[in-house]
Amino acid sequence: MSAPEAVHPLAGVARGRHGAAGDAPLRVSFPARDIVQVMVRRGQDAALAAAMRTAFGIDAPGPGHTASGSGVTAIWIQPGQWLLTAPRTTEGALAVRAAEAFATCAAVADQSHGRTTIAVSGAVAREALSRGCRIDLHPRAFGPGRAASTPIAQIGCLVHQTDAAPSFELTVFSTLAEPFLHWLLEAGAPFGVEIA
Amino acid sequence: MLRIPCPHCGARDEVEFTYRGDATVTRPGPDGDVGAFHDYLYLRRNPRGWQVEWWQHNGGCRAFLKVLRHTVTHEVRAVAAATETLEVPGA
Ligand SMILES: [Zn+2]
Repeated sequence: MSAPEAVHPLAGVARGRHGAAGDAPLRVSFPARDIVQVMVRRGQDAALAAAMRTAFGIDAPGPGHTASGSGVTAIWIQPGQWLLTAPRTTEGALAVRAAEAFATCAAVADQSHGRTTIAVSGAVAREALSRGCRIDLHPRAFGPGRAASTPIAQIGCLVHQTDAAPSFELTVFSTLAEPFLHWLLEAGAPFGVEIA
Repeated sequence: MLRIPCPHCGARDEVEFTYRGDATVTRPGPDGDVGAFHDYLYLRRNPRGWQVEWWQHNGGCRAFLKVLRHTVTHEVRAVAAATETLEVPGA
């Protein structure tokens, strides 16, 4: 018997315009993501790298980086650990796939309910994020395919840049998604925030 | 505000780290007596100068790091992984 589909932690947020009116708002959406944490077992680094290549077509990314293949993105989060993310399909599907792929070389934990991803995009995205993010997001220092964990508004946030628009995916603990979004709406208010 | 160069994440602000004390203290073995455990728990050199310290990058990669810091100038001269050894410079 499978668990019931979870209600998205931000399902109740009012869609549409928040803050200032303007032509170039901060665009915000709440993509449903499968999120799976992969933790390598001692001495199994080479086996994990091989399994990730075989099962997902991904070369395990190093610190600060991400890599994508076959609809799945691997994000380095700490030594020996990665998050695998993919658009939400069937409940638990990615976790099952990962558990089979890494059966002998890594521990796998489904974080799909535990983490919530907020996507932000637009020319003002860097400036809005810089109001609380200590990481330098300037193109010289950061860019598409890069990721970093850092506290924003005292909430631990995984910042992952997905394209040069620029677009970012911000992943936080689900219980803190609402206060985090509150901060984001305040940070984006001078530009206007459009929630899809 | 310290800037600590994490070997995994690059230079980050002090607020991302938690200070975990002197990294040169070693826990007595299971046969250690009460005196040895007392010293392990309570006695610190508290130097005026260079000290190797534990800092955990809990706001980033969560790794425990050894940091060589000057307790007067706050200069951070070296950072290493928990399993590595940092030498304290003389004087
Ligand atoms: Zn770090």
